[in-house]
Amino acid sequence: MSFFNMLEQISSGMLHTILIFFFTLVFSLPLGWIVAFGRMSKNKIISGITAFFISILRGTPLMLQLMVVFYGPYFLFQLPIGNWRFPAIIVGFSINYAAYFAEIYRSGISAIPVGQYEAAHILGYTKVQTFFKIILPQVIRIILPAVTNEVITLVKDTSLAFSISYIEMFSITKQIASTQTTLMPFAIAAAFYYIFNLLVSFVMRRLEKRLNYY
Amino acid sequence: MKLRKKILCALLTISTTAALLTGCGKKDNKTFTVGFDAEYPPYGYMDENGEYTGFDLELAEEVCKINGWTLKKQPIDWANKDNELNSGSIDCIWNGFTINGREDKYEWSVPYVDNSQVVVVKADSGIKGLSDLAGKTVGVQAASAALDVLTDEEGQKELGDSFGKLQEFADYNTAFVELQAGSVDAIAMDIGVAQYQISGRGDEFIILDEHLNAEQYGVGFKLGNTKMRDDVNKALKELKQNGKFDELAEKYGLSEMTCLEP
Repeated sequence: MSFFNMLEQISSGMLHTILIFFFTLVFSLPLGWIVAFGRMSKNKIISGITAFFISILRGTPLMLQLMVVFYGPYFLFQLPIGNWRFPAIIVGFSINYAAYFAEIYRSGISAIPVGQYEAAHILGYTKVQTFFKIILPQVIRIILPAVTNEVITLVKDTSLAFSISYIEMFSITKQIASTQTTLMPFAIAAAFYYIFNLLVSFVMRRLEKRLNYY
Repeated sequence: MKLRKKILCALLTISTTAALLTGCGKKDNKTFTVGFDAEYPPYGYMDENGEYTGFDLELAEEVCKINGWTLKKQPIDWANKDNELNSGSIDCIWNGFTINGREDKYEWSVPYVDNSQVVVVKADSGIKGLSDLAGKTVGVQAASAALDVLTDEEGQKELGDSFGKLQEFADYNTAFVELQAGSVDAIAMDIGVAQYQISGRGDEFIILDEHLNAEQYGVGFKLGNTKMRDDVNKALKELKQNGKFDELAEKYGLSEMTCLEP
């Protein structure tokens, strides 16, 4: 297999990696807000349940969670799982990342001084208005670097999808390496991950600059 | 306006994803999903064009042609093969799959390849026979037949216990790199795979003349799935009779190892 051929195969795997990356962000970023609000809820039961949910998801390996999500429906409920592979990966990644994002969001919200809520109240803002017009824009600015961290980790975590036999970039790399009996494909894969993450951090830096208005 | 566009965009994304997730529900009865380790040449691997191929996969393709099934090739993580098979996400394991020692765990097709477990060492290591392996570090694939042989009372457990360490690997490429680098002294594996690996790496490695055992390959189905197994057996016989089986064995250099009876 020529060098060019390897590049072509590995980039076809890259597409699957990007699919996991994209869908995970689409679901986990919003889901994280729900979890964060649950965690900060004044209702003891809701905040207790969410805290437990977060501790489980942060306290067990993502690889194990993927196996539970994929094989669980069959071994617990005898449901057929033939086409559940890709959805299972998105579900597994999304809930795992939502737990991490939730804690980041919570840290951002807690960083806003109470005085701002009081001032908004005096000026006649409702609670919802206060949150969306005053608190949220500041929170996003505060949490962006931490979110960037997680997003970059996600790019690399996509390789865990092979534990439930989903063929993404890293598994294709391993397959080529074993057929061609060389380690060259791993060097190519490393370059791919690095370039992808350069792009991610570039985009995030631009975003940070744009939000840097005070 | 801008916000509305954004919302529309978000909704579109969500709805297409939902369609994607629900759209693929029912399983076609005529799909034959073969689970295999794509890092296991010459039985199953990725070729120059990025297609999965190999002796077993081409054989599966021919069987599907006879039975009117559509072949789906599903590369799996070898350590997870039982989960994949029992949960129904694959129909069979067809990948240089050793019958011996696993007789009661699967519904087996007729055996089609005579295999041996062998030991590969560096040519200049000075290791000449199995007894020289005492105290050495020996590599073996996780959940593989070679590992079973070396840990089973009825197999070569005594030999396995004489090793300094039995080091498990996820795939053979890593194992060979470690052998080359000297962090393991020998690798135990199937002879067909050993021959392929050595042909790709030059004469730096040799296979010990003393073999660990003799065994046979078959196609493994989930216990109780005799219907599909019988269909595959019938098709295999037909392929043997019309010469297609021997043709494929020749193509992958396995002619001397086949044992399928006509």
